[in-house]
Amino acid sequence: MDTLIDLGGGFASALEPASLAFALLGVLLGTVVGVLPGIGPISAIAILIPVSFGMEPVHGLILLCGIYYGSMYGGSITATLIKTPGEVASAVTAIEGYEMARRGRGKAALATAAIGSFLAGTLAIIGLTFLSPLLVKLANVFGATEYFLLMATALLLASTMSAGSRAKALISIFIGLAVGLIGLDFQTGLPRQTFGIDLLSDGVDFTIFAMALFAIPEAIRNLALGRGAKETIQSFGEDKWMTRQDWQRSAGPWARGSVLGFIIGILPGVGPSLASFMSYIMEKRISKRKEEFGHGAIEGVAGPEAANNAGVGGAMIPLFSLGIPGSATTALLLFVFTMYGLQPGPLIFRDETGLIWTIIASMYIGNIALIILNLPLVGVFVKLLKMPKEILFSAILVLVVIGAYAIEFSLFGLMMLGIFGITGYLMEKGGIPLAPAILALVLVPLLEDNFRRMLQISGGSFAPLVTRPVSLSIIILMVAGIVGPMLFRWWVSRRQLLADVTVS
Amino acid sequence: MTAQRTDLITGGVIAVIGAVYYIATFSIQETANIVTPRTFPAIVGIALIVLGLFLAGQAVYRARKTALAEAGPGVGDAPGVGIGDGAAASAGEAADPHEPRGGVTLEAPPEPATRKVVFQFALFFVYLAILIPVGFLLSTAAFLMGLTSIYAPEKWIRNLIFSVVFAVIVYGAFVYGLAVYLPVGILG
Repeated sequence: MDTLIDLGGGFASALEPASLAFALLGVLLGTVVGVLPGIGPISAIAILIPVSFGMEPVHGLILLCGIYYGSMYGGSITATLIKTPGEVASAVTAIEGYEMARRGRGKAALATAAIGSFLAGTLAIIGLTFLSPLLVKLANVFGATEYFLLMATALLLASTMSAGSRAKALISIFIGLAVGLIGLDFQTGLPRQTFGIDLLSDGVDFTIFAMALFAIPEAIRNLALGRGAKETIQSFGEDKWMTRQDWQRSAGPWARGSVLGFIIGILPGVGPSLASFMSYIMEKRISKRKEEFGHGAIEGVAGPEAANNAGVGGAMIPLFSLGIPGSATTALLLFVFTMYGLQPGPLIFRDETGLIWTIIASMYIGNIALIILNLPLVGVFVKLLKMPKEILFSAILVLVVIGAYAIEFSLFGLMMLGIFGITGYLMEKGGIPLAPAILALVLVPLLEDNFRRMLQISGGSFAPLVTRPVSLSIIILMVAGIVGPMLFRWWVSRRQLLADVTVS
Repeated sequence: MTAQRTDLITGGVIAVIGAVYYIATFSIQETANIVTPRTFPAIVGIALIVLGLFLAGQAVYRARKTALAEAGPGVGDAPGVGIGDGAAASAGEAADPHEPRGGVTLEAPPEPATRKVVFQFALFFVYLAILIPVGFLLSTAAFLMGLTSIYAPEKWIRNLIFSVVFAVIVYGAFVYGLAVYLPVGILG
């Protein structure tokens, strides 16, 4: 009941004109960055951090959260119409959605994506509304040991759940940790890893690092590619929106995608992009029309798009109630909270009740705005795709530079931006994912602080890890979460092998 | 460049960075705390060395296995290493699919020529270096004009208009709208 009263209060202030305007601006900007390939929510939020510094905290946070969930909607438009995902979580939509568009079913693909996104997004926010207060109660028994473990779990999951080489994902995490440890040690005040450069003793600014890694390599790569083959944008004039059959075929994937996305979103260290991949694989497995997959199966759009939006809502739960980000984007949002002097977690629900519930309420409103804006304005968003590449990416570079300048006001800050831009480019070239490094950079001070406190309280003993019931449960879940999938894969490959042997 | 070769180089570079990072921890002052300021950096340095060597070793091992498989007659179980290896992962948040073979194959984005990438970065650094002394308006307009003209020289009028207008609008928005004072440089 308290929750509903708090939420009601949140709605009252989220519906004030200024809050409403920032929510609308956020989802609109989010849709735009989602639509534009090469600029995702991470770059957009990082670029806007210096801008939002001067805003009221609640407005800045409403704006930046809106960009995050708004971008999930926009991504599907680009994926469907030019087969390039506007952002990663829409990568699988580029498979089925594009095929649907080619067959004159583009409107249906966009509609199922938008409606699925709305339903899943809203369900996830309802989940966020009621689960967060519960988690906050649980968090009251959390000590340094549990926080340390949760953060370690987030980092471990971020590496085991990523694509390609696990060693490379781990390397990315340790690069993030290495950069995060540069500067004065906050406990002793001693300089660390500054390589004799005094300016480094303030540490590497998180926003500069995030912008450098996410915006610069992408912009430079696209500019260096020059004018490639012109992308053909699928058009739709006479297409029908969703038919009765489309609704029937979409309902199941929407529901399954919502649940799956929400659960994956809550897990620390895993973002909504994994949710959309898993949903796609699941829909393909259980479908009675397997042969349609790859040729425009509507389930392959409905499920993943629902899943990535539910994933965003899920990912907000550990961020709001524990102050632990589960992905690179929520890591950025955590940074924004601390920039305003706020500490997400149990305290924010106690001391800043109005603020946190206003943000949550604004997410309900934002989702409604998205579904209203999205379909009628598709034509406008498509025009964005016609913007010449050189204009888009050179403008992004300038915005990134302004962002870095507004943080440090120095040549040193600008050079850091350039150097980490090169670092990001080389990491991508070596196949090292960038997102885990960002997560690690945000988590390292918290990780180290809680590790130290844990050992200080126990007098140097690691025993609390297993003697405290909550921390022991986390360890058990962590082991199950990492070993479980490994065993499953081993079992599947063994079965496959056996099947092959029997056939031959 | 094969996937193994890239991994070998990447692993080697990471191991070297780890070593440099680890050596740098020796200049951190020791304290009597249980977890000294050196503890975490040292762990990170060692982990980077180990992971770098592991990646390089794995690349050598795989290259050998591939060579053997090619040499062996007929047993055509050519391992499909490196199809889009990591390309999907590098794009953003933990992307994943567990099973590269069963479900999802994503096309790797095309790779630009190294020469062009170096040139773009060089141009970017020149912009970073002149921004403060020359000022935002002039350096930004010049940078934008340069970039867009390499791309589409024939549209120079459009490029010029875009470069100047964008620089002016952004300057106005930040300085007058957001009170973020951008460098005025020689115009000031």
